[in-house]
Amino acid sequence: MLAILRDLLRYNVEFRIGVALVGFVVVLSALSAVSPYPPQDVYVVPPDVPPSLSYWLGTTSRGQDVFWQLTFAIRNTLLFGCTVALISRMLALMIGLLSGYKGGWIDRALMSVNDTFIVIPLLPILVLFYFVMRDSMSWLMLALIMACLGWAYDARLIRSVAMSLKTREFTQSSVFSGMSTREILVQEHLPYVMPIVFSTTMNNMIWSIGLEVTLAVLGFTDINTPTIGGMIYWANQHTAMVAGVWWWIAFPTAAVIMTFIGLFLLAVSMNEYIDPRSRLGRIGGVAT
Amino acid sequence: MSVEAAAPADTRPPDRSGPILSVTDLRAHFRTTHFGVNRYVRAVDGISFDVKRGEIYGLAGESSSGKTTLVKTIAGAIKPPLEVVGGTIDFAFLPGYGGLHRAPPTEVARIRWRHLSYIMQGSMNVLNPVRRLRQSFVDFARPHIAGTAKEFETAVIGHLARVRLEPSVLAAYPHELSGGMRQRATIALATICRPDFIIADEPTTALDVVVQKDVLGMIHGIQREIGSSVLFVTHDMGVHAHIADRLGIMYAGRLVEEATTPEIFKNPLHPYTRHLISSLPRIGDDVPRGGLEGAPPSLADPPPGCRFHPRCPLAMEICSRRVPDMIETKPAHRVACFAVNGSTEP
Repeated sequence: MLAILRDLLRYNVEFRIGVALVGFVVVLSALSAVSPYPPQDVYVVPPDVPPSLSYWLGTTSRGQDVFWQLTFAIRNTLLFGCTVALISRMLALMIGLLSGYKGGWIDRALMSVNDTFIVIPLLPILVLFYFVMRDSMSWLMLALIMACLGWAYDARLIRSVAMSLKTREFTQSSVFSGMSTREILVQEHLPYVMPIVFSTTMNNMIWSIGLEVTLAVLGFTDINTPTIGGMIYWANQHTAMVAGVWWWIAFPTAAVIMTFIGLFLLAVSMNEYIDPRSRLGRIGGVAT
Repeated sequence: MSVEAAAPADTRPPDRSGPILSVTDLRAHFRTTHFGVNRYVRAVDGISFDVKRGEIYGLAGESSSGKTTLVKTIAGAIKPPLEVVGGTIDFAFLPGYGGLHRAPPTEVARIRWRHLSYIMQGSMNVLNPVRRLRQSFVDFARPHIAGTAKEFETAVIGHLARVRLEPSVLAAYPHELSGGMRQRATIALATICRPDFIIADEPTTALDVVVQKDVLGMIHGIQREIGSSVLFVTHDMGVHAHIADRLGIMYAGRLVEEATTPEIFKNPLHPYTRHLISSLPRIGDDVPRGGLEGAPPSLADPPPGCRFHPRCPLAMEICSRRVPDMIETKPAHRVACFAVNGSTEP
């Protein structure tokens, strides 16, 4: 595993840039731990100060330091993405592996649920959830809802791999050696699909962060928890662009774009690593 | 591999404590449903045979003769559309149920790998490509062997030495091994628990002849050492001549002849077996080999009576009406053929 990471860092430019960008964003979010101001407090610094040496990224119209506010925002946004990715990955793995391996009515039942989730229009549903739940719509609740909506595509992908694994000899050997279905799925099939899961995790995080920012900008989330979308929401509320407080919008936007590009490059380079054909091409073999 | 080179001399004392596997009138059909009409493909249709303790029973027959379906049914891998329509499969270590498919799951779990194991056809996927060999051994065999992890490792290394594999292969992934090494590792994996009964489904088909001989020798050696019985399936008569003690010949889902291997090769009685044996090349013999007219019948719509009669040079009128029984024509030599046994009808 470490050797793979080392090789990727050495030979893959996309991976290097991706790691640098994501690393930068993670360091930024880690700095929230040493913030001098609590994230919820307003008017702790003079409002509307442009970026300067004392306030690196300026201050907001609500009297918050943009830099420290940004550290909280990016931390929450990243955590949100990771939570959604983790929960939806677990759902996708369980449902995909079980459905592909078991087949029959289990497969049909699970896949009809799966297809339902694939065709559901997401944004209207999420807005509806916000209007129904309002005050109880916390950060964690939104993450749970998104996770429940975000597993379907990957479950189908994993199912297709599991269906192929089912017919291979080692699966039959596992059955003949007396392994239970759970053991076969966890010990034999899970290691096989893990690289695919790693790759889709990045895409899933991009998807969930993007959707969260969209909802937050529109004000359809818990706006008191600082997130990237939440910062942009408050900036819009204070007509930051008209008032010339551009740094309030520019820096969170830049941070989230860096996150996106970083995760995208990681997903692309990992895809290339997983696909043996492009790996062959890179080490000088002939891809056929 | 020439036939003469083989002809194994049976040096073991015969074991008289009853058969380890006894299959009685087994019928397993594939059911397909089209527009509400059920159609049956009779892949295994009324097969009876015994496997004695400590013997290698060879099962021969061309493709689509139902060999694989038969061993799958015996191993309990019965999934739709395959159905067991009738008959019993009695293992000495699983008495009273009439087959793995009828036994409760706890009983089946008890005998798996410990008493009944399976050597798969040699291929790329015979071992999990993303698990190191050590992990495969732990996955498959650890639950069946008591003792500490250290003792298990020692046992595995000792057992690998029997198939002439270095302990270092335990750290390798399957793709890092050659085809022969992979198949030897598979044999080690299947025999580590010293099972009473091993099903070997074409274990040497994907290997070249030199490796094949090597692998066959290992199966034979380990089998003699741990005293297992082996049900050995392949279409390759040369392999059978080399390894099997007794041979059963299958044709179109039925057993047509059964005898000791030297007897089958020297004195085949059933017309199908005779053609099979006479089609084998022999060193120093330059007579052209004649083929048999026609093709194996469709198992969805087999000919009535004896399934071989449309291609049989000895076919009589009765052959198309009645199914010949397996009759012990000579001691330990059973044949299902009216032309050989004579018809019982007036």
